[in-house]
Amino acid sequence: MRLYEYEAKEVFQKCGLAIPRGQIVASAEEARRFASEIGGPVVIKPQVSAKKRGKAGAIRFASDPEEAFRQSQSILGTMLNDEKVATLLVEEKIEIDKEFYIGMTIDYSSLKPVAIASPLGGVDIEEVAQEKPAIVKKVLFSISRGPTEKDYEELVSIFKPTEQALMKEVTKKLYQIFQKYDAEMVEINPLALTKHGKSMALDAFLNVDDDSLFRHSDLVKPRGMTREQFDFEQSLKEKKWKYIEMDPDGEIGILSSGAGITMAILDLIKMHGGRPANFLDTAQMNAEGIYSAFSLFADNKKLKVLLVNIFAGLNRCDDLAMGIKKYLQQHPLRMPLVVRMIGYREDEGKGILKEIDVETIRSLEDSVEKVIQIAQGAT
Amino acid sequence: MSIIAKRSSYVLIQGITGAAARLHTKNMLDYGTKIIGGTRPGGGGGEVHGVPVYDSVEQAVEKHPHVNTTILFVPPKGTREAALEALSAGIKTVVMVAEHVPLHDNLEVLEEGEKKGAVVIGPNTPGLISPAEQTKLGFVPSQYFIPGPVGVASRSGTLTYEIVSRLTLNGIGQTTCIGVGGDPIVGTPFPKILQFFEEDPETNAVLLIGEIGGTKEEEAAEMIRDRKITKPVFVYLVGRTAPEGKRVGHAGALIEGNRGTIESKLASFREAGVPVADTPGDVIRIAKEVLKS
Repeated sequence: MRLYEYEAKEVFQKCGLAIPRGQIVASAEEARRFASEIGGPVVIKPQVSAKKRGKAGAIRFASDPEEAFRQSQSILGTMLNDEKVATLLVEEKIEIDKEFYIGMTIDYSSLKPVAIASPLGGVDIEEVAQEKPAIVKKVLFSISRGPTEKDYEELVSIFKPTEQALMKEVTKKLYQIFQKYDAEMVEINPLALTKHGKSMALDAFLNVDDDSLFRHSDLVKPRGMTREQFDFEQSLKEKKWKYIEMDPDGEIGILSSGAGITMAILDLIKMHGGRPANFLDTAQMNAEGIYSAFSLFADNKKLKVLLVNIFAGLNRCDDLAMGIKKYLQQHPLRMPLVVRMIGYREDEGKGILKEIDVETIRSLEDSVEKVIQIAQGAT
Repeated sequence: MSIIAKRSSYVLIQGITGAAARLHTKNMLDYGTKIIGGTRPGGGGGEVHGVPVYDSVEQAVEKHPHVNTTILFVPPKGTREAALEALSAGIKTVVMVAEHVPLHDNLEVLEEGEKKGAVVIGPNTPGLISPAEQTKLGFVPSQYFIPGPVGVASRSGTLTYEIVSRLTLNGIGQTTCIGVGGDPIVGTPFPKILQFFEEDPETNAVLLIGEIGGTKEEEAAEMIRDRKITKPVFVYLVGRTAPEGKRVGHAGALIEGNRGTIESKLASFREAGVPVADTPGDVIRIAKEVLKS
């Protein structure tokens, strides 16, 4: 879960890192008021979950309150990567001497946390690492102990000797955040060195591991989505379901159990020229589960066909068939249904669905072919 | 022979009194797995399907010093503590079943496992099964597996059942089938598994069932290219049509920028001369060819 910049900055400040004086505003009038309070030039930054706002031209500067008003007005309510700009962070503009990069994340190859530093900040660190690897320092460290003094020293050796003590201090605070907030990634880019020799986090990135959110429930709230979408996602999470909208022009809905097999079905459908619209990957399914899963698809007006894949290893075909039957008897489906069913108590399941005139198919490939035929025949 | 799950596996079930653990303890016992004991956090005593329940791993190991394997049927929040408890009691094979184990917890367990020289499987795995040894560790549905020469490692549970049931229907048996886990970080990823299968005299060929995300397929391909693995390997990859930046299923199945793409994985295997199946049916065709040669 990625925090908004202003939220990450609140965390940074709590952990002792300096940030520019700033205020979160929802109107141009508030922006003007805060700019006059600052009494000097300000930076105006939309609070959205999209990365690379700078490249999108979404970060504005204003030299006086009137300009702050105009700039805020022109950006509030616009769309940035599918997200409506609803709030802005207005900050004093800092006199910068130098811009550094400092971050911590997980190295997925060695399976260890890694600290990354570079004297070249304010730019895309991945690009720097590729083009000028000599000015990016990466140091792996132990997750249980944290970086040792030696690790810190090695990391800051990338900076000038006069800057190393300060950077070590900043990195230690960054580690506290990394550890305390179960960070997948925490990053200051850029970290400014001010004309007075102080460090200041001009931007703040903090991505908290989704699976650790039970330890950080105060941070959970809708970001980049409506309240309704948020509640929907939370309800899926509780059921351990994954529901993804793939393609707004797609025609085929997929209800399946297990991530790997669901991906295989998507691949097969696309390989044969079909267009998956959405899919639901449920954890272990039972009669009740499949009943409520159907309701996610039933009202979708774009779907031309629904594919249900049942491979019963630990659950039972007849149990799932009962769930489908119960649903269909109470709610007529608006689209044709193809059920692929194989596994434990398969014949019994087949019999139950036959009672309500639903044919089952045994082979996965045949069932995919069938849904594509139906989808294409319907156009 | 087989890897990791063996006749000589003496197994502890942590969290044995939970509903799922009870069910799968029964299934494992029926299959032939030697389950020696179980633990229940907060108090032992009594039995589950004839298996004695203890307070702690330490207590169980004291009573049964030959226990060498544990399966964690504990919720994701409790996985770190349970795994560290097992490692500190000297258990050398730890299977973490839970999905949604916090990333930092997981890393800590893997670090400790490495320090102790233990094999950690998962998290987010259905476990593993060795048909000839009548041993399964976890909850894979055993009816789809028969003894034979192919080692199977997969990032997915359900897809493994789909593919292996077809191998079995075609008379192609397996030494060991292992779910390495669907998370971005797992204790025993493909490269380590390949090494295990390379050293197993009964395994004649290895099937990897991979997917987008991460770089473990690429690392495995490199080992094959560099002839560190000499047995024939064949591969089935899914997630070819997944959109960038969206998790399509497993937490690990995520493409970020140029990392974890299907193109990168296909290119690595091509360079290593490893056949890659496009469809489940294709896996069987390739398996037959590989085993003939």
